[in-house]
Amino acid sequence: MAKVNPDFVKDIKKFGADEFSACYNCGNCTAICSLTDKNNAFPRKLIRYTVLGLESEIKSSVDPWLCYYCGECSTSCPRQADPGNLMMSLRRYLISKYDWTGLAGVLYKNLTAYIIAFLVVIGGVVGLYVGDVFNQEQMMHYGHYFEMFAIVGVFALILLPNLIRMWYLIVWKNTKKFVLKTHIDNIKELFIHMFTQKRSLSCDSEENKKDEKLWWFEHFMLVIGYLGLLFTTVVLNWFGPKSLIEGGNSAGSLFVIIIGYVFSAIVFVVTFDFVKRRIQKKSEKTTKSHPSDWFFVIWLLLMSVSAFAVRLLIDFNVLENNFWVFLFHLIILVQWALIIVPFGKWTHFLYRSFAMYFSSIINTVEKKK
Amino acid sequence: MKERIGIYICHCGGNISDYVDVEEIGKMLKEEDGVVISKDVMFACADSNQKQMVQDIVDNKLDAIVVASCSPKLHLHTFKNVAERAGLNPTNYVQVNIREQCSWPHSDQPREASVKAMGLIRAGMNRVSHSESLDNIEITVKKSVLVVGAGIAGMKAAIDLARLGNEVYLIEKDYFVGGHIAQSDNLFMSGQKGKEIVSNLYKEVKSFKNITVFTGVEVEKVTGSVGNFAIDIKIKPRFIKQKADFELVKKAMEECNTFVEDEFNLGFAKRKAIYKNYPEALPDLPVVIVDAIKEEKALLEKYATCFDLNQKDELLSLTAGAILIATGYDSYQPAEGEYGYKTVPNVITLPEFNRMIELNPNGLIHNGNKVKKVAFIYCVGNRQTKGDNKYCSRQCCSAAINTSIQIKEKYEDITAFHLFRDVRTYGKQEILYEKSSKQGDIYIRFDEKEPPKVELQGKKALVKVKDYLTAKKELELEADLVVLVTGMVSRSDSKHISEKFKIPIGTDKFFNEIHPKLKPVETVIRGVLIGGSCQGPKNISESVQSSLSAAAKINALLKSGTISLDPIIARVDNSLCTWCGKCAEVCEYDAVSEVEFDGKQVAQVNKAVCTGCGICAPICPYNAIEIAQFTDIEIESMIDGFMQKIEFNVKAAEEEKVEEKEVLTMKEFPQIWKNIFKLIEENKKTIPQLAEELNVSTDIITYHVMTMNKYSMVLADGMDTKEEYYYYTKKN
Repeated sequence: MAKVNPDFVKDIKKFGADEFSACYNCGNCTAICSLTDKNNAFPRKLIRYTVLGLESEIKSSVDPWLCYYCGECSTSCPRQADPGNLMMSLRRYLISKYDWTGLAGVLYKNLTAYIIAFLVVIGGVVGLYVGDVFNQEQMMHYGHYFEMFAIVGVFALILLPNLIRMWYLIVWKNTKKFVLKTHIDNIKELFIHMFTQKRSLSCDSEENKKDEKLWWFEHFMLVIGYLGLLFTTVVLNWFGPKSLIEGGNSAGSLFVIIIGYVFSAIVFVVTFDFVKRRIQKKSEKTTKSHPSDWFFVIWLLLMSVSAFAVRLLIDFNVLENNFWVFLFHLIILVQWALIIVPFGKWTHFLYRSFAMYFSSIINTVEKKK
Repeated sequence: MKERIGIYICHCGGNISDYVDVEEIGKMLKEEDGVVISKDVMFACADSNQKQMVQDIVDNKLDAIVVASCSPKLHLHTFKNVAERAGLNPTNYVQVNIREQCSWPHSDQPREASVKAMGLIRAGMNRVSHSESLDNIEITVKKSVLVVGAGIAGMKAAIDLARLGNEVYLIEKDYFVGGHIAQSDNLFMSGQKGKEIVSNLYKEVKSFKNITVFTGVEVEKVTGSVGNFAIDIKIKPRFIKQKADFELVKKAMEECNTFVEDEFNLGFAKRKAIYKNYPEALPDLPVVIVDAIKEEKALLEKYATCFDLNQKDELLSLTAGAILIATGYDSYQPAEGEYGYKTVPNVITLPEFNRMIELNPNGLIHNGNKVKKVAFIYCVGNRQTKGDNKYCSRQCCSAAINTSIQIKEKYEDITAFHLFRDVRTYGKQEILYEKSSKQGDIYIRFDEKEPPKVELQGKKALVKVKDYLTAKKELELEADLVVLVTGMVSRSDSKHISEKFKIPIGTDKFFNEIHPKLKPVETVIRGVLIGGSCQGPKNISESVQSSLSAAAKINALLKSGTISLDPIIARVDNSLCTWCGKCAEVCEYDAVSEVEFDGKQVAQVNKAVCTGCGICAPICPYNAIEIAQFTDIEIESMIDGFMQKIEFNVKAAEEEKVEEKEVLTMKEFPQIWKNIFKLIEENKKTIPQLAEELNVSTDIITYHVMTMNKYSMVLADGMDTKEEYYYYTKKN
């Protein structure tokens, strides 16, 4: 017997959901959705769960992650209940529920908290420099170390435990068993979806089919660009080689410098277009942007631009006199690595692909039954 | 006996003549005694034939006519009018139905169809030969109307009837006018206060000198019939002296300290022993509850000039030409334990909830709890597949949702659950449903098989329900208040009204109209009409619509001062009648009474009341009572006519075939058929092709081709390349 919790509605609204109460259960959204199937009937079912406040059902549901927000459900809703936006908000809600620290929830629900967190980072970075704790060289040196430790630390302390929690909520609660073989057999799903988002290609909304395809390509390039830039800066130490003007770089270093430029340019171009889309609000998925959506695309954009600029200043050998550019880049980077990656929208990169993986595990178990 | 009869047998353009040998029948009947004219015609109802018939009647001095064609429902009046135009009394006309009763049902046995048609026509001929000339019964009527019930339906009808110049008596059972709507503070869709509408209507009623309002009235006896009803009413006293100082009465009301149950507020308040339903209630004169006020001796002494506890019921007799019943409805009263009603203190009905809201403008407290969560349970006492009330009360969904919107606006922090079976907010009321769900009301759908269960948990009600919108998930919800959305039922005193006015009650216990579509406000009692929700569940607009339509009907009835009634009624042969009273016993309309005639007691039929139903005729042991146009001799002669052996000239098989072909080569094809033939003779064609070439719309071509197909004149011959349309060719 499930208890109806009408207060949940207020909670989920803080994650960006709005008009879903208007739903009168016609089921048009589920009928029109090209991604839903018999096993995962969304969005109607999730609207019901939300309206009734059945939190444990929502928490153990993988469905929100199976939606790629083409928006066709929202445009065809006769009550303008915007099911697409509810699915988006439920993803934010789920991120906050997977997060063991609870900080994701605080940040999602509270813009002020977000801003305070950003300000703290600015204060810390600027403080370290202005307070003469580090000089320029040390700043750059430790900046690079920070990147490496942040990646390992955030993953080990935050993301890995969160993924285990997600596994528990989705796989364990739904199947009540752990079969290693099924987990190994289905692992390819994880990587396919992590790097290709091929499922989103099945969104076959008639109106903007072309745009959906373009969006998929841009998103694909963004993933490549972002991972490439991450690899170039952290592992290949993009800011390490000497200035191009001074010369004397090895062929390997030259290669690193060039791919760094290429990757940051890709990230810049795509995120610029993404920001433009959110401003223009031409498609359903970009009409309603939560602060966390803005932070995600803008910080990616700023990060790629500032990285590009820093490397450019190094290559023209004028970074010393324009060191604020590096500081700016570092601030963006730290905010990104400590706020947006562990607690913000970045996590969808992991959770969405793991959701696909978990979903195929559940399906295999169900089939065996 | 009629000696000069004219018989017309209709082909109905082939509808009859394809199967019934109308020509032969026509020839055969010509030989019968008393038949002057007997002929078959292509369309009896055609203007040209009607003119010919009038000419025939006049020229040949016909004294009766028979038309054998379609159902009398279609053309009885057509040919009655023909008779009238030719100066023949229309009662000397008989219609015989040989289409619906012969050619259509027996198309597979044309010869038997012809024999049956012949028998039926001969029966009709025999009957018409015994027909009498009867004239309509004219009755003088009083231009006055009794309106029973001063709710919104009754008051609106009274106003319109008065405006049209009728004398109106508006009687109300309660001491105050307004009925149910005074109990609602916020009416959907206008949001008006019921009490304001009542006050305005009453003001309007009082502005008409030809409306007399009586309150506290009971109907004692109703006699008479349309045009001249006599109604005895009993007016209950208010126990306030007629010449009492009104200010003093008011003071006494203020000072009164004895309280009794308050029916108007449904238990959510007490009322004084000198009371009005609500402060603005009209007529503006309080009522004294004698049993209760007897205790307050000091008050009675102080205001001795105001009260007269010895007032008696007043009896009054009214006469009215017509009666409008607008007695309204009762709200369904749940049984004890139904969804926890009366057993769980948090459970109330929607009408009770509406009173509670109006009496508590600042905050809802129930059972010592601040009300924050309200659960509405729909369809209580309605749409019972197993119970008595199978109908839907149609207004309760909207009423519940309206209340739900209202409490959210009026009080802070209210959550509303709606446990419904179907939401039927038809028409504009759909807007309310949308508003309510957009404001966050939670809708949960249950099935009659698995109704919600209400239990008490601490100070709250715990409702358990299976949600059919969430894969039948079992849900539990806490509510401070459970509101049962009760439907409408017939008034508890409907039976009394039905007995007094002799109007029938349906299986749903509401008053019955004659025909829901064609005579929606008339009852079987001529002159007694019904309006508003006494007829069945209606919302306010629908109630007013029906009562106004009844008012219009009444005005049309009384307008000319006389009423013309059909002469087909019972009549008594005084020489045979011995007054055993059996006819009076069975008469459902009380049309038979005992009178003295020629030194003995006989039965007399009230011409205005008798409907000619015929129940009295077979009951009479002396055969002294008969129905005009249905006399024994007429009926017996019909049977004789039908039973008479019919010697039909049996046609040889070849001959019949020839005749069938004749249908095909019928001269009177429409031009369009000829055109179609011409085109498809050369090449097979589809309907769209024909439409284009003939420059006629496809609908019309479809109609004609299908008709030709029915008569086997065309043949489908394969489909076009797109497999969209059939080709048609001429059938040989």
